[in-house]
Amino acid sequence: MSRRIMVVDDSRLVRVQLEDVLKGTDYEIAAYCRSGEDAIEQYAAVQPDLVTMDIIMQGMDGLDAAEAILRSNPDARIVMVSSLAYDDTFERAKAIGAKGFVDKPFHREQLLKVFEEALS
Amino acid sequence: MNTALTREELEQILDQALQDVTERTAGVRLRQGDHPPGEDLCTVHITFDRGFSTSLTLCADTSLLLRMARNSFHEDAVTPEDLEEFSKEYLNVLCGKVTGAMFRATQIPARFGQPRFYRGRYEPEEQEVQFILTYSDGHSEGAQLIHHVPCSHGDEAEPNEA
Repeated sequence: MSRRIMVVDDSRLVRVQLEDVLKGTDYEIAAYCRSGEDAIEQYAAVQPDLVTMDIIMQGMDGLDAAEAILRSNPDARIVMVSSLAYDDTFERAKAIGAKGFVDKPFHREQLLKVFEEALS
Repeated sequence: MNTALTREELEQILDQALQDVTERTAGVRLRQGDHPPGEDLCTVHITFDRGFSTSLTLCADTSLLLRMARNSFHEDAVTPEDLEEFSKEYLNVLCGKVTGAMFRATQIPARFGQPRFYRGRYEPEEQEVQFILTYSDGHSEGAQLIHHVPCSHGDEAEPNEA
């Protein structure tokens, strides 16, 4: 059975890159949200196995959106996918309960490894 | 960008980040050269808003950005919206790499705002050019990465510090 991913990123390019990377795997993109607010609204209806969350977006940033989703859905599995992969963003992501962090531009192997760890 | 790095160190960080991100996101190899963009160009600008008060501007031939966008989207035809989206995400990732490298070198965390896209050349107000890195792809297409700092207004300058 495929595992359903909700992609939260304000760039369509990231969606295309993720679709490319996930071809031939048992992951499928179940929903695509272009903002943190949209992700919070859609999460309950989509019930994804995994969320990929960008950090820098228009409006609410990805860390705040992840925190809001986890507050209402403590079992949510969220992986941050961002170019801001350093210093306090790692710490804050961990502190709010994100299951992993993937650095943009991502490598296929790195991404799948973090997904597997997040779902294990 | 800050007094903890020399201009040469910052240039090296920017150069390495640009070459790495360009190749990995768009499959294009850019090398420093002396071929600036022509008349038909686009600009993407981003401002560092924490830790630094500088900005980065990427000016590139529209044809080069279009080719990079086509490679990234895996589509032969890209819309103007795709071009803008690609250009903004490209600079966004580039700045992430730069701030990561800066943090490793200085322990100063930087943040940057949303990139802005312009058709043609854009020059930020109240800022002056500190240095320009010029790139070519070997196909007569060029790009420039421009580091801006706040205008000195005649204050003492530190030409060797970034």
